Amino acid sequence: MKTPIRFTTLALLAATMAACSTLPPGNAMLDQARSDYRAAQANTQTEALAPVEMKQAGEALALANAAQARKDEPAMIDQLAYLSRRRTALAQETAARKQSEAAVATATADRDKVRLEARTLEADRATRNAAVATADAAQSKRQSESAMRDAAASQRAAASSQMRAGEAERRNQALMARMQEMKAEKTDRGMVVTLGDLLFDTGRAELKAGAVRDMQRLGEFLREYPQRRALIEGYTDSVGPDAANQVLSERRAGAVMTALLGMGVGRDQLTSQGYGETHPVAGNDDAGGRQMNRRVEIVLSDENGALTAR
Amino acid sequence: MTPHRFAFASALGGALVALAACASLPPPTEQMAVAHAAVAHAVGAGSTEFAPAELALARDKMTRADRAMASKDYATALTLSQQAQLDAQVAEAKSESAKAGKSAVALQEASRALREEMARQPR
Repeated sequence: MKTPIRFTTLALLAATMAACSTLPPGNAMLDQARSDYRAAQANTQTEALAPVEMKQAGEALALANAAQARKDEPAMIDQLAYLSRRRTALAQETAARKQSEAAVATATADRDKVRLEARTLEADRATRNAAVATADAAQSKRQSESAMRDAAASQRAAASSQMRAGEAERRNQALMARMQEMKAEKTDRGMVVTLGDLLFDTGRAELKAGAVRDMQRLGEFLREYPQRRALIEGYTDSVGPDAANQVLSERRAGAVMTALLGMGVGRDQLTSQGYGETHPVAGNDDAGGRQMNRRVEIVLSDENGALTAR
Repeated sequence: MTPHRFAFASALGGALVALAACASLPPPTEQMAVAHAAVAHAVGAGSTEFAPAELALARDKMTRADRAMASKDYATALTLSQQAQLDAQVAEAKSESAKAGKSAVALQEASRALREEMARQPR
């Protein structure tokens, strides 16, 4: 809102003032106005940034100068000079404002640039972090998958062991059942099947008919487990000469071996031996004891065929 | 429409009459209104805070101009209101440049702080 003061109105005022005032002449205000204007001109920015305002200031100063040249009333000259000074100040303030506005624009652009840099850095950092996190996650996943596979493998191994253990247990139980059927007993030499005196007639070495039946299970066992071996040992009581008893015990052991061979047991599985009246298991004083001593023992090897010789 | 044209017309209307005596200058109502408006505008631009001296000067002159109008001293009223109008304009211009200056400083400071912050960040 700028109102250039019309020359006519001012002239009117000048005339009026001339008519009713008797102020002494003075142009200190005009000197000041000229000096202010020169100072504003000296600053090239003022002209550049506020050309319109400077033009108006110049025109106001011209009015004041003209009034002085015409020797107008001092009050008039003072008024015009004052207004000129104000116009000059207006030009200077306008230039200052525009300079600050330019600085604001620069600072805003700068701040936006810095913000963009900051955001770019942040984005880069976030991308790197995301990449690291993804890599970590992938590695964790691989590790957990690996752990799961290990766990599954362990489980399978455990199940497998259990199964084998179960099978071994079952085999063991089956074996024990078989041993029971064969009437094998556990001794310090291994499992021993004892064939009693009733299998032979007195003093004779031929197996009676029922004996072969008794040995059936034993034969089947040895045929089924070819790696098992058997030591067939004949014993007698102490009645009669030692030599005769030795021969008898050998022949009886041999008869058992022949019978087992006849069932299809392998030759290399069997060894027969006579011990005569040695190694009695009972006293020879009574009939019961002597009957017990008249026996054939079949010592079974372990599953690998290992035997403990007497 | 610019206010001064109207003032010119009314002034010219009473020109010949006014030349006769100093008391017969027409009342500068237009100029008074313009000057009052300029002061109000300057206040609105924040001159109370940023250009208090200039604003006080303008207000004081308008008060005196109002008194001159009341006592029909139209020459004084005219003179004072013309001065007051420009004083108010200068006050407003000072306020605007002060505000722009503050913004520039604040923004420059913000940029500097932001740059410092960034320099501290690990790459």
